[in-house]
Amino acid sequence: MLNSKEIKQKENGPVFNVRKLGFLNNQTFYLILVIIAIGIIATVMNPNFLTLRNFLNVMQQISILGILTMCMSLLMISGGLDISIGNMAGLIAIIFARMLLAGISIWIGVIVALILGIIFGFINGIIIAKSKVTPLIITLGMSYVFLGVALIFAGGRPQTITGQFSFLGEAKIGGVVPVAIIIFLAVFAFAFLLRKYTKYGRRLNAIGGSTLAAYLSGINVDLHIVSIYALSGLIVGFTALILVSRLGMVRADSGSVFALQALAAAIIGGITFEGGKGSLIGAFFGVFLIGILYNAMNIIGITTYVQTIVLGAIIVIATVISNIGKMRRQ
Amino acid sequence: MGNNLLEKEKILDVKNLSKEFPGVKALTNFNFNLYKGEVHGLVGENGAGKSTFIKLLSGAFQPDSGEMIITGEKHTFFTPHTAIRLGIQAVYQEDILVPGITAAENIFLGTELVHSKKFVISYKSMINQANELLRQLGINIRVDEVYERLSPPDQQFVKILKALAQKPKVLILDEPTQAFNTNDIELVIQMVRRISKEGVGIIYIAHDLDEIIEVADRVTVLRDGILIKTHDKRLETFKPDDLAKEMIGRPVDLFYKKKESPVGDYVFEVCGLKLKGSSKAINFKVREREILGVAGLKGAGRSEIARAIFGAYRKYEGKVFYKGKDITPANPIQAVKSGIALLTESKKVDGLFMGLPVDQNITVVGLDNIGKFFLSLNKERKFCNEYIKKLGIKTPSLDKEIKFLSGGNQQKVVLAKWLFKGVNILIVDEPTHGIDVNAKTEVYELFTELAASGKSIIMISSEMQELISLSDRIIIIRNYGISKVLDKNEINEENILSGFMGGD
Repeated sequence: MLNSKEIKQKENGPVFNVRKLGFLNNQTFYLILVIIAIGIIATVMNPNFLTLRNFLNVMQQISILGILTMCMSLLMISGGLDISIGNMAGLIAIIFARMLLAGISIWIGVIVALILGIIFGFINGIIIAKSKVTPLIITLGMSYVFLGVALIFAGGRPQTITGQFSFLGEAKIGGVVPVAIIIFLAVFAFAFLLRKYTKYGRRLNAIGGSTLAAYLSGINVDLHIVSIYALSGLIVGFTALILVSRLGMVRADSGSVFALQALAAAIIGGITFEGGKGSLIGAFFGVFLIGILYNAMNIIGITTYVQTIVLGAIIVIATVISNIGKMRRQ
Repeated sequence: MGNNLLEKEKILDVKNLSKEFPGVKALTNFNFNLYKGEVHGLVGENGAGKSTFIKLLSGAFQPDSGEMIITGEKHTFFTPHTAIRLGIQAVYQEDILVPGITAAENIFLGTELVHSKKFVISYKSMINQANELLRQLGINIRVDEVYERLSPPDQQFVKILKALAQKPKVLILDEPTQAFNTNDIELVIQMVRRISKEGVGIIYIAHDLDEIIEVADRVTVLRDGILIKTHDKRLETFKPDDLAKEMIGRPVDLFYKKKESPVGDYVFEVCGLKLKGSSKAINFKVREREILGVAGLKGAGRSEIARAIFGAYRKYEGKVFYKGKDITPANPIQAVKSGIALLTESKKVDGLFMGLPVDQNITVVGLDNIGKFFLSLNKERKFCNEYIKKLGIKTPSLDKEIKFLSGGNQQKVVLAKWLFKGVNILIVDEPTHGIDVNAKTEVYELFTELAASGKSIIMISSEMQELISLSDRIIIIRNYGISKVLDKNEINEENILSGFMGGD
């Protein structure tokens, strides 16, 4: 029989305690350190960096990416992924703009946009749940489908709706805080609560952890997968509206850039492909890091080309760091 | 076949071979020999030392003491490379070949450059050579077919052919017919006979004793790492029934002593269950407060039947009743709603969420108990701590990922998961598989308590002591049907074993 000391040793052996910092896991902690470091460097080089105005500027710039990152994170936590969300937003934005240009009322346009988001997400979800094909491939294909349809609707031309619908993109609460930021924070809070405090979120987590174990535990796996893609689609619909409103003009590929950036932000924030892992707080800081990095580089005067390299490097470094625990275990 | 065995050349002679792992004597002073052209069967329960022996022979493990004489050369140990050079080839059940290339390419993979001086491999000559091999062995498979498209028996043939391409003197076959139907088993047996006629010595491991008796010239029984006996089938004294007894025979004091409690009325019923159109209909009932043991050899269909009852395996027909009500589940969702739980054999793969913490693993099925829509994390913590205390789960904290817990504690968490949900029928598949002796006793105690508290337990097990000491009744599964039902007073080793074999 094992004595208690041995048992203790056995159980404390290969431990990598990710929760010693309470609600912040290790990666989130590193992220915050990196963000502070960037802040200090940028402030030293240009004191304008550390101002409320610049902070709100950063937040507004990342609001669309941030919302999409929350979608991506929820999907990844449940073992999925959707890289069509960028072009999905683009397509919805084009359709919305065409409707406004055709003289259809804003409210009908908004409702149609949101419903389209749910339908598109639902299509992705149902194909993934029923075919069991890896979501990466399905959503890659769907991404091209959305882009193609958007090009047809747009007739290859940018759709300009200047001034008709600027509230979501430009309005400021109390003349200070942009509405887009409020929406981003609301979506973040919603995703956080959904994941941590609802049965639905817990079951998504379980499905991400092991689809097979979830199935044999009596969880309706298909229903959860389809519904989370549809929910994500709804949020993408929202994002499309912000996109139109902010730019005043959309092209078919206006959303393209966001999908992979959202994936990158989620990964930097500690969300993994394994599913069931990572926190939405981490994902939030992942987006924030990207935003502040671009902002700091702009303020310091680093060219866009170099900025791209830095973003790529950050993704690689973050993924390696998040894998250090595993490397040690092997 | 092998009439003059004793005059034949000994190609393998193992003397006093021992191997110890921390805490386990896997093999103790084992003696074994093999003649040219002989099929030597090796039988024993899981953990009897068969695999250890094979791994020593193929160089995967090094023995602590003893010697192995191979065609006259004496060795105290060798590496896998030497083993192959000496002509020892092992075909394991879990061997995996390259799925996307043809059978012929798999057969000659790794050897193609040895047998040809050319850099470019001639695909045609490979196919021809493979067909020639097949012709000699009297089997018929398409060697130009992609490996993964072959049927399981054909894949098994390819594995054996791959080993034969190395021209071995000793061929080890580890459960070559697991999960095959009777015809396919017959094909393997015929093939094995032909190979042995070519002068190859074969060590044949199988769970099915009928099969071993048919194919082997001699049979060696291993138990707890010790040689029990080597039988020669040609001798008058050979009795097939002895094999089973020798495999299982165990001192009585290893049995768990269950506190007996009275069982209740019949509550759960499986009616006319067939997994295939051709199999025998399965009918059985379970009483309240009863533990129904389900015995049977591996591959007899026990786990599939359990999954079918739980709605997780496609069945041909059949119904499930609880207290007279038809609750036949179409999927696990319905099964769980009707109060059935399935504790799977491979809990790490399909019972637990290895990357999630202990608390989430416990509450995942019974989330309704901690909130209507929003969850109360305090309540969750409270409930989890209760279960941890009640089941004696040892974990540093509720936040610890479940993969860091020991096998026994993981099994208790799976149990906690279902108890937290609140179920009436627990189907447990190999509940003590891979957990240590003390944890086993704890699991037995929990099962006894659960049954006494009013639950019905259907326990699938390969462990004889477990079945005998816990079960109120036992059904024995053979070939996807019930071969025998044992009442409390009929439960003993011999009766169980007779259900494994042809009998009834």
